[in-house]
Amino acid sequence: MTVQTQRRGGGGYLERPAPSGLADVIEIILDKGLVIDAYVRVSLVGIEILTIDARIVIASVDTYLRFAEATNRLDLYEKGGKDLTEAIGDLQEGGASKKTSGALKGAKKAVKGAVSGDDDDKGSSRSRSRKRQSADA
Amino acid sequence: MPDAVTDVEVGCYVYGVVLADADLPTLTGIDGAEVEYVERDGIAAAVGEIAIDRPPGRRKDLLAHSEVVDALVKAGPVVPVQFGSVLADRDSVVHDLLEVDHDYFAGLLEDVRGRVQLNLRASYVEEQVLAEVVQEHPEIAELRERTRDLPSGTMHPDLVRLGEMVSKVMEQRRREDADVVLDVVRPLIVAEADRAGGGIDHLLEVALLVEEDRVRELEDKLEELAEAVHERIRLRLTGPVAPYDFVGGGGGWA
Repeated sequence: MTVQTQRRGGGGYLERPAPSGLADVIEIILDKGLVIDAYVRVSLVGIEILTIDARIVIASVDTYLRFAEATNRLDLYEKGGKDLTEAIGDLQEGGASKKTSGALKGAKKAVKGAVSGDDDDKGSSRSRSRKRQSADA
Repeated sequence: MPDAVTDVEVGCYVYGVVLADADLPTLTGIDGAEVEYVERDGIAAAVGEIAIDRPPGRRKDLLAHSEVVDALVKAGPVVPVQFGSVLADRDSVVHDLLEVDHDYFAGLLEDVRGRVQLNLRASYVEEQVLAEVVQEHPEIAELRERTRDLPSGTMHPDLVRLGEMVSKVMEQRRREDADVVLDVVRPLIVAEADRAGGGIDHLLEVALLVEEDRVRELEDKLEELAEAVHERIRLRLTGPVAPYDFVGGGGGWA
């Protein structure tokens, strides 16, 4: 695992946008803040135009179809050259049998300063060359 | 406040509540109205005159509201009030708001003093995580093989089933991964508040209340985490902003 040091000041992996546009402002303030009791309020300036509900996931057929579609769309990426096994191999910390969050748990360790170096099994060459940088670097 | 023009009914738009002894800035708010401070016993509401019969709130109103609160927060602690809150007049602001809830406001202002809100969003790199899901669950892989050539948009039962299985696995994974992210963050924050999030790539959306002098440390930790997980998870931190999510409001998105 490559352990890199500080990348502060814009080149980092943590996206750190300054809230500026309307979308950011909506996200930050809409429906937030102290709610004044309705009986003392004169009126609420309408905010209907700004409702954005696309972010709510509702367990519904529609949602399931979206997941299915996204899953089936995957072959595009594979055909694009990404070796699935290899990609997964990268993620499994030392071939941990844990099915989920192997990478995250590994990351947590790294964050805590205990980087484990035992990339033992999976035997495959581990290409790390296709890592994606955040676009706004 | 000068007398209102009598044939237009005006109300008192409320931006937030602040400490009266802060160095309160001169500001212009919605509709170009001057921001005034209505005071009572050490706390003050930042208000502006507003025509009651004006058209519904528009984007520039939202931006104006946000700018006023941003400016207030630079002067000291603020309890932001929900966008679009209008009371009848200054008397109502004093009696129905500041007096009634005086101690509550005083407590909140104390709670948020020297602290800022940061919003953290974690999202999956969608194709990466879906690939993991397919890889780790043979039954999903098999179902996918069977359905991948179905025309998209059809409501084939197998497609629905595939989607359901994938979303359940993702949900489970999301819970576990969110905990890992929060474990990194929690030692550095005062409080957290869930924010609604959605979408296939959604992992975590949370507001963090942080001591001002720990923001840098939090950023550093998150940068380390972001680097370690960047192939499958993106982290995005916005703010500091006023503590919108920590003042007991918000009806949620639903």
